[in-house]
Amino acid sequence: MSDSRIDGYARGLFEIARAEGTIDEVEDELFRFARSYEASDALRNALTDEMIPAGKRQAIVEDLLGGKATSTTTQLVSMVVGSGRGRDLPAIIDKLVERASNSKNLELAEVRSAVALTSDQQDRLKAALANATGVEVNLKVVIDPSILGGIVATVGDVVIDGSVRTRVDQLKSRL
Amino acid sequence: MSLLTNIILVMAEEGPHRDDNGQIVTHHWLWPERSELIYGTVSSILIFALLYKFAGPAIVKGFTARTERIRVELDASATAQAEANAEAASIRTAKGDIDAERQRLFAEADAQAEALLVEGRAQLEIDVADLEQRADNELVAAGSRVGDELRAEIARIASEATDNVVAVGLDSATQQALIESFISTVGAS
Repeated sequence: MSDSRIDGYARGLFEIARAEGTIDEVEDELFRFARSYEASDALRNALTDEMIPAGKRQAIVEDLLGGKATSTTTQLVSMVVGSGRGRDLPAIIDKLVERASNSKNLELAEVRSAVALTSDQQDRLKAALANATGVEVNLKVVIDPSILGGIVATVGDVVIDGSVRTRVDQLKSRL
Repeated sequence: MSLLTNIILVMAEEGPHRDDNGQIVTHHWLWPERSELIYGTVSSILIFALLYKFAGPAIVKGFTARTERIRVELDASATAQAEANAEAASIRTAKGDIDAERQRLFAEADAQAEALLVEGRAQLEIDVADLEQRADNELVAAGSRVGDELRAEIARIASEATDNVVAVGLDSATQQALIESFISTVGAS
């Protein structure tokens, strides 16, 4: 899909969520859904398979998100998948999150952690990243067991890697 | 001339002979009438004379031409026979040449076959030596490759084992400690 079309979808979803007054929850849920979508081949295949009718793909989305996310999030994802744009879902969502961050004058900070962070940890991490980068951040936490332990934070072009995975890789490389 | 006159006179003297019924018949059952005999004789002499005078040269010429044609044909036959004899001699010679050529070709083929055999044996020996050399090289390479693969496999297993050991060692407290350490480090930078 072209960038302008992705941008158009992101803008549309953003406006709907903002009109519903649930932009913070929706962008957070959508961000986590996008990461799950990227990590799961089965989910990606199911939502992008043109042989599966659109209604069936939308039913899969509703089964996955129903009760676990707000109805706005579910309906937005369902709409994108139903329109045959499932392949571009992560790009659309990333644009939406970026737009939401910009609307609040925040820089998107993607944080990968092997285990879930408490809200206290997220607040302190947000403050620490703001201190380190000099900008207020919109923190998005992704649970990623592949990093084994620690945290990898990406703010714009800056990557702060404190993961065990990287240390182990460096150790292997040295060995 | 007097003979002709006498004959005419004799003819004039003889009258027609009649049988008992008054029918005119010949005087003799075999001989024609004298006058007919005279006319026939004179006519025959005349015809033969004319033939001799006018047709004789043509007949002589025809016979001469026929004789000449037969002579030419005999000459042609003699020539053809001579040519046939020459051709037969040539064929006999050629046959002799073919036999000689055949012998020569057989000899040449035998020589070539022998040369090929010798060359083939030499090439075979070279090929066998080359194959043996290549087999030796491949054995060495395979040994090296197996060694490399073994080392890579050991490295992969060691890597997985390291991950597993690290993952097992990363209990909840350690995970939290790592997170707190990251927050502190980033916050202090």
